[in-house]
Amino acid sequence: MVDSSNQTITQEAPPLDELKTGSPPFTSLVQQLTQIVGQANILYNADELLVYECDGYIVDKSAPDIVIFPISTEQISAIVKLCNQFNVPFLARGAGTSLSGGCLPIGGGVMIVLTKMKQILEINLRDRYAIVEPGMVNLHLTNALKGTGYHYAPDPSSQGSCTIGGNIATNSGGPHTLKYGVTTNHVLGLEAVLPDGSIIELGGPTAETPGYDLHGLYVGNEGTFGICTKAIVRITRDPESHRTMLAVFQTIADATRAISAIIAAGIIPSALEMMDHGIIQAVEEAFHFGFPLDAGAVLLIEVDGLEIALDEEVRQILEICESCNVREIQRADTPEERQLIWKSRKQAFGAIGRLSPSYCTQDGVVPRTRLPEILEFIEATSKKYNMRIVNVFHAGDGNVHPILLFDERDQEQIQKVLEASEEILEKCLELGGSVTGEHGIGVEKINFMSRIFNETDLDTMETVRNIFNPRQICSRDKVLPQHQADEKAGVVQSHPARRAPH
Amino acid sequence: MSPTHSGSLEEFVPASQTELSRFMTDNAEAAPKQLFSVGGRTSLSVCCPASQSGTLICMSQLNRVIDYPVRDMTITVEAGMRLDQLTEIVSAEGQRLPIDVPQSNRATLGGVIATNTCGPRRFSYGTIRDYVIGISAIDGEGNLFKSGGRVVKNVAGYDLSKMLVGSLGTLAVISQVSLNLRPKPETMSMVWFAFESFQNADRALEAIVTSGTRPTAVEYCNSKAARQIAAESRSELPSEHQIVCVCYEGPANVVNWQAERIREEWKEFSPLSSQIVEAEKATRLYNAFTEYQTSSDDPVTLKAVVLPSQMMKFVEAATELNIAVQAHAADGIVFGHLPDSASSLEDVQQILKQLQKAISPQTAHLTIYQCESEWAESLPLFCAAPPGWSLMQQLKQALDPQQLLNSQRFAELVEA
Repeated sequence: MVDSSNQTITQEAPPLDELKTGSPPFTSLVQQLTQIVGQANILYNADELLVYECDGYIVDKSAPDIVIFPISTEQISAIVKLCNQFNVPFLARGAGTSLSGGCLPIGGGVMIVLTKMKQILEINLRDRYAIVEPGMVNLHLTNALKGTGYHYAPDPSSQGSCTIGGNIATNSGGPHTLKYGVTTNHVLGLEAVLPDGSIIELGGPTAETPGYDLHGLYVGNEGTFGICTKAIVRITRDPESHRTMLAVFQTIADATRAISAIIAAGIIPSALEMMDHGIIQAVEEAFHFGFPLDAGAVLLIEVDGLEIALDEEVRQILEICESCNVREIQRADTPEERQLIWKSRKQAFGAIGRLSPSYCTQDGVVPRTRLPEILEFIEATSKKYNMRIVNVFHAGDGNVHPILLFDERDQEQIQKVLEASEEILEKCLELGGSVTGEHGIGVEKINFMSRIFNETDLDTMETVRNIFNPRQICSRDKVLPQHQADEKAGVVQSHPARRAPH
Repeated sequence: MSPTHSGSLEEFVPASQTELSRFMTDNAEAAPKQLFSVGGRTSLSVCCPASQSGTLICMSQLNRVIDYPVRDMTITVEAGMRLDQLTEIVSAEGQRLPIDVPQSNRATLGGVIATNTCGPRRFSYGTIRDYVIGISAIDGEGNLFKSGGRVVKNVAGYDLSKMLVGSLGTLAVISQVSLNLRPKPETMSMVWFAFESFQNADRALEAIVTSGTRPTAVEYCNSKAARQIAAESRSELPSEHQIVCVCYEGPANVVNWQAERIREEWKEFSPLSSQIVEAEKATRLYNAFTEYQTSSDDPVTLKAVVLPSQMMKFVEAATELNIAVQAHAADGIVFGHLPDSASSLEDVQQILKQLQKAISPQTAHLTIYQCESEWAESLPLFCAAPPGWSLMQQLKQALDPQQLLNSQRFAELVEA
């Protein structure tokens, strides 16, 4: 174990300009980084860097000065120590699927891309854990476990491309978190390079470790506590069987009543996803699943577990749906039919492109029983701003994803999106919810933090962050508003339509 | 277990979070006294606090329900609420917090969180850390802070609740908490198996990995512990042998099917006998397993956390040393009550030395869970520094700079 308290670097940061391309310090930094990872694993030409100027949050952009692809913890430690020596900001990036700007390199600096660290280091079925490198794609772990009777439970919608290191950074959710929980419920331990370059282990493969739960604290830090270089994750038994259904409702109110009633009956479905009228039309137009175009809402309901238990659960669900005025229910009787039902959910975002040149996806949360109110509010907001808003979301968790459709070429529409997003997220807070269920604060929602938390809450979070990241050199200007400069260094805005305003 | 806090202690009983916060601020600013927060006082010996002088903060009046939106299956309560009160409230709505807590008629929620107490169900339901969705607490300087919220999915800000779970009140006094609840199952059954050999018991436990059933708990006890558990539960366990007990919850037909199925599956491991226990008898047996970790009058209780695959090696070594052992077997968590013959500090140190040979220092952790307070300062609480030690020390220093909160717990942290 390396003690993180042995920092010796205390000098003030030199002007960032000194490190720009061609300057002597920049050239020296590049030379030394190249010695660590080799010429093939470093980029510093402006045109190559453009690829890394943003993640899935495309509003704000800021290119890094150097992008580097390490292949080991030791390399990352050496890179981070150099960054400290040169007083250069740095941050980690996986697949870049973050939707809140968590990978935005504010102030430029060095971006450490972890996609070459993607190995499975160990799978241990008896002790129910796997050890993976952070660049491992989420779905690849489950694929590697196929046939063993186990899988990795957290399954973000982007699981085919997002990485487990990124999932840990943002505490990712997904459609099956209603029953199986989010990432933090499945992380047993990790190895990380702290912002001073020291290497530390937190937690471990055993069920618990003595002392404070630091790996639990680390999950969801959005890259501000250092760079996760290894993850020990719990693996979960495959369910013996599934039952998957699509329930079509005339109104959103009926569908949301069914959601609460199913859970109140003691059934925790493995997934409970809703698509509203607008998204049904888009999906139907694109993929012709056979959804009735006049339906108010469709619920994708999945239960899993022992075969012997499922028919009774399905019977109860059908009865509840009937009592909530369901119009029709489609059941998947074969794996192919199940796959088709899930395709309708997972391709919903793809279908939106047919509706509008631009769209803005929000990530609000409300208590499950307040879904009718937030959906009603979203509808009213849509009318107020004369803007189409469609909804496809994790209804069982109360995690709504209103998708605001607009044309980014029209400045007036952009302004409407800003104001509508603001109002919807404010309403989520008013209803007892949150402004992010799974995408994180990043830079996108940093201005909401002081509305959710008071000064003492934020000061305590800052105190904790300072223990990991005292110089604020790692993943600058994220999560906590105290550290965000009025003008974020080097950030340019392309179109501000997805930004939560002040 | 001998009483703790035998020094000179004043008592303060706050009626609200604000009052508690003000009290702690005043304390930090004036001539500060040591503060010890207590709930039901069921875990005062956990991690060995020594006798102290200072102020006892009694959380008993902070026991109100703040908000219980039943159909959202979340509840927000003050930390001084007793577990049996919480259970009664949510049980009336067909819900539960699926965490097993010894002495639940005294233990408070804040205490359960601070000690990260859990029992057999952790195999399928996890621990209290998996159910806390929001938390409020007051640090050593009197700052009342919160993190999380009241919705089941929320990633706004850092998850400070994880930092506080298991912190033994050394970082802050937990004052209010929001919890995610689960539906109460229709029924529960247990199936016990008696084994002659450690090897056969271990093979059976390994088979859990591929069983066609889905147990909610898998408990193990050696014969010495089995005798105590049998007496406590008034069960007909063949207590001259080792016992593995598998628990199922859910709809009655599903539970029954699984209980029969596991008996079929485990025939190949040659159990000496087995029996399905249902209804009230199952509850009594289950409760005995839950209570066992804190039920002893023995001077020292050890806790070992090992990989499940390594558990039986440790259990065998402990049994040879005449230690009564119970384990949440599928999770590799072992509690051992030392025998009366371990009557001196030297005896205990010798036993610790022997046990450490049976665990892998890379993946296992042996800790003193409870002990006589006069031995507390002489026995190594952690036996070895846990991962992240330096960061833990810094956290303690940052949130409790004057070392006012339960400073003898995690004593190594304070002294560093």
